[in-house]
Amino acid sequence: MKANPYLREATQRATIRTIVNAIIVVFALAPILWGVLSSLKPTNQILEVPPRFIPREVTLEHYSRVIGDKGLFYLGNSALISAITIVVALTVGALAAYAMARYQFRGRKVLMVFTIGVMSIPIASLLIPTFTLLSVIGLMNTHAGLILLYTAYQLPIVIWMLYGYFLSLPVEIEHAARIDGYTALGTLRRVVLPLSKPALVAAALFVLVFAWNDFVVAVTMTSSESVRTFPVAVYFYLGFYGREWGPLLASSVISIIPIIAIFIVLQRYFISGLTGGGVKG
Amino acid sequence: MFTSEKYTPYRLVGLAVLIELGFVIVPLIIGFWYSLNRVQFFQIRGFSGFDNYWRILTSPMVGNAIAVTLTFSIVSLVLTFVIGFGLAMWLERSNRLNGVMQAVVLIPYMIAMLVGSMLLKWVFSKESGLSDLILAPMGMGDVSILADPNTAMAALVYNAVWRDSAFAMIMLLAGLKSIPGHLQMAARVDGASAWYRFVRITLPLLQVPIFITVIRLFIHLVNTLTYPLILTGGGPGTSTESVVLKMYRLGFSDNVLGQANALAILVFIVNLALVAVLLRLFKKAGNI
Repeated sequence: MKANPYLREATQRATIRTIVNAIIVVFALAPILWGVLSSLKPTNQILEVPPRFIPREVTLEHYSRVIGDKGLFYLGNSALISAITIVVALTVGALAAYAMARYQFRGRKVLMVFTIGVMSIPIASLLIPTFTLLSVIGLMNTHAGLILLYTAYQLPIVIWMLYGYFLSLPVEIEHAARIDGYTALGTLRRVVLPLSKPALVAAALFVLVFAWNDFVVAVTMTSSESVRTFPVAVYFYLGFYGREWGPLLASSVISIIPIIAIFIVLQRYFISGLTGGGVKG
Repeated sequence: MFTSEKYTPYRLVGLAVLIELGFVIVPLIIGFWYSLNRVQFFQIRGFSGFDNYWRILTSPMVGNAIAVTLTFSIVSLVLTFVIGFGLAMWLERSNRLNGVMQAVVLIPYMIAMLVGSMLLKWVFSKESGLSDLILAPMGMGDVSILADPNTAMAALVYNAVWRDSAFAMIMLLAGLKSIPGHLQMAARVDGASAWYRFVRITLPLLQVPIFITVIRLFIHLVNTLTYPLILTGGGPGTSTESVVLKMYRLGFSDNVLGQANALAILVFIVNLALVAVLLRLFKKAGNI
């Protein structure tokens, strides 16, 4: 039987496609997978040379060690701080974005420029004076301190994303609501926000990823255990008692799981939010 | 638009402005004041004018840090952008498989920078055995990647490329999607080759998104603290000690806060210039 040339070309294309995709998957995920596999090995087998990819023996000892080191408490801290930051940043951000999308007022343009400017200020250059500021106003080592800082750092992105979305909503519905007697806030709450769910979810994801993953701000602005967030706890396995790869990798994996789970569920919002908030504004 | 209520918009933006002023602008001012003083252990010991700046600018360590930062950020920028662009083109068409692939690429971007760098530190460490496994067959037997200045820099670049290509991809994907499909179609009908279509249609229409992506990537790379802090610790020696890491150490380990803040202000000025370019691009894209 003679092979169909079109069919052959199609098969070739499919093969190339598969190979390129496979390379991408390996590059993106191999370090993570290697970390996960290593975290499941007993300590002596972690450092085995040459390494085995599939653990000979699966153990959860490193995970129970992390949990035993108050890991759940630090996870709780991270969750609490992230959750409150999301609520605060979205509330404050929605108000500002609504004003910028629906009102002509003096200073509006300055505010837009300011928003993009702040979005691009490197946090690193703020660390030292922020340390002083928090000490002076008594927010050092507090949950509130971290929440306020995270809000300040993420607000511009939230405002920018919601602003773009609000602009795309038909203003007529809001006019109708106002005629029916709603106040500006009432219209925002009862009409605009329910219509903006996709943008709100995307913005919330942004804030979540930042607050959940931040390490630099948290390690600088907290020293007491009671406010320690999970990434800082991860970091400590790197330093104090020599390098403890087992707990280090196990805690890394623990920190990844929630964010990946949420990401998989809400992925389409995230990507559309990223693209919307990225190039369009 | 609701124009009749004069003060409503100010009330609406008030809280946001207050938070930004309090936690971004005030720290900037404090930092600037610090940079003009001799500061030890968070105590101001006297006004010193631009002395800190002078010390910073003449310090050989800072010269080294600038060279490290430029090497790292420029090499990473080029690689990240090219790979990100390639990924965007590769995964442009919307279908199920590409959706999954986009998610896969985004995973390193989703996880904490700390955790990502930590995982790579494990991969690159001599203890993991992986470097022996991969390098030994290539005849480089007993090499520890993070112990040699050149390979340590390469590892740092790898870290940036591994995580940030996803960012470049997503930004450029958004740009690609905004190109009207009928243009490509018309060129195809006219018999234009794929390369011709790329150079004559895709690139020109993508100009603004490309510049925005490059500038934002560059700002991120110049200012990253986590990669060098976690992956290489600035070492071996000071071969991967970037400006921002140097600044962090001047402030929190060496306790010369005046100098640290002088460096921070200098970094900030460089960033301002970059942001100015970015703002122009946003304006060009019609978003302000």
